[in-house]
Amino acid sequence: MNCLDFHRAKLAEPTRLGPEAQSHAAQCAACAAFAHSVDETERDLERALATPVPDGLADRVLLRVHGRRPAWYRWALAASVAIVVAVGLARALYVPAPGDQYARKAIEHVAMEPESLSTVDPTNVEALGELIRASGGTLKAPLGTVRYVRLCPVENGTALHIVFETGQGLATVLIVPGRSLPQTQQQASTSDWNALARAAGHGYYAVVTPSGSRTAQVDRLIRERIDWNA
Amino acid sequence: MQNFEHAVRAYSADLYRYAWWLCRDRHLAEDLVQETFARAWKSWAELRDVSVAKAWLVTILRNELARSYSRSRPAVDIDNLEESELPALPSFEGDVEIAQMVRLLPETYRQPLLLQVLGGFSCSEIARMLATTEGAVMTRLTRARQALRKQYDVPAEKLKVAK
Repeated sequence: MNCLDFHRAKLAEPTRLGPEAQSHAAQCAACAAFAHSVDETERDLERALATPVPDGLADRVLLRVHGRRPAWYRWALAASVAIVVAVGLARALYVPAPGDQYARKAIEHVAMEPESLSTVDPTNVEALGELIRASGGTLKAPLGTVRYVRLCPVENGTALHIVFETGQGLATVLIVPGRSLPQTQQQASTSDWNALARAAGHGYYAVVTPSGSRTAQVDRLIRERIDWNA
Repeated sequence: MQNFEHAVRAYSADLYRYAWWLCRDRHLAEDLVQETFARAWKSWAELRDVSVAKAWLVTILRNELARSYSRSRPAVDIDNLEESELPALPSFEGDVEIAQMVRLLPETYRQPLLLQVLGGFSCSEIARMLATTEGAVMTRLTRARQALRKQYDVPAEKLKVAK
């Protein structure tokens, strides 16, 4: 490592210097002095960034999330919840899981990642084809102008998150390999979104658009242009 | 449940500071923190590895901020800009406090700097959060610190930290 490399390493990650950089600083007085001055700047920076945090922020977060009240209230609430749960448990045991849970998860995923709809990061057909192949499908023809592709963590795995342009607007497709649907397909809607999840290959894919008719169109497009049986 | 409460108590301050430096509005910053944890709670049971909770929360917060900005600002994909497309750094000559200098940094430099200094994340963790490469993050951090260090060329009495 030379002095220039050391400067770059120190400026990029001042508190995580590798052994090679540490060894260089031990032998180079100029770089040791540089490191000392970077550390001083870093301390000033930390102080400058430590903007005051409003009192009780964590408590307000917990109150909002859990509706937290004083201890007696929580005990009373817990007791009443326990009774309700006990009464409802037997019934719940015989109620099948919601038939739209994977379609709903797809809508939640899109809602949780709104930047997917505002980001324009074009991906070429070859790169997309490789990603789809890794997810168990074969891209037979282009989907259109793809503007967002990410690998996103989902329950028990990773989803390929694709947003592309259609004639009627943007469409989102989530490909989730290795997770089978209990049915051939599921549908779900909210006030803003409509989703369809369909078993495909060794997993499923989900289409999310603002309306049922557009979801159906995009679903047809996916079935035409991605082969899941290869 | 207990893990979630621990996460709220451990990370809410860092998330608030991160949000504040991105929007510089204390009401919006608190709203963002509240919304971040509210959303995180809905999916908390699916979080298999609590050790990545902080990075996950930061990602949710960034998405929340993008959502709030998308209502009033044009979409700008700062994370995927090529280095050559990045805006030029402003000049920091003169008596400018370090906090003011951080405010003046282009967002593409400020984001990784805040994540590293406030969040304690490594370059590779920041790269994952910003969906870019580790090399790009290192370049941005280097440039950001080079800009801040120019302040050290002025006399010591001018090196003030904003209160």
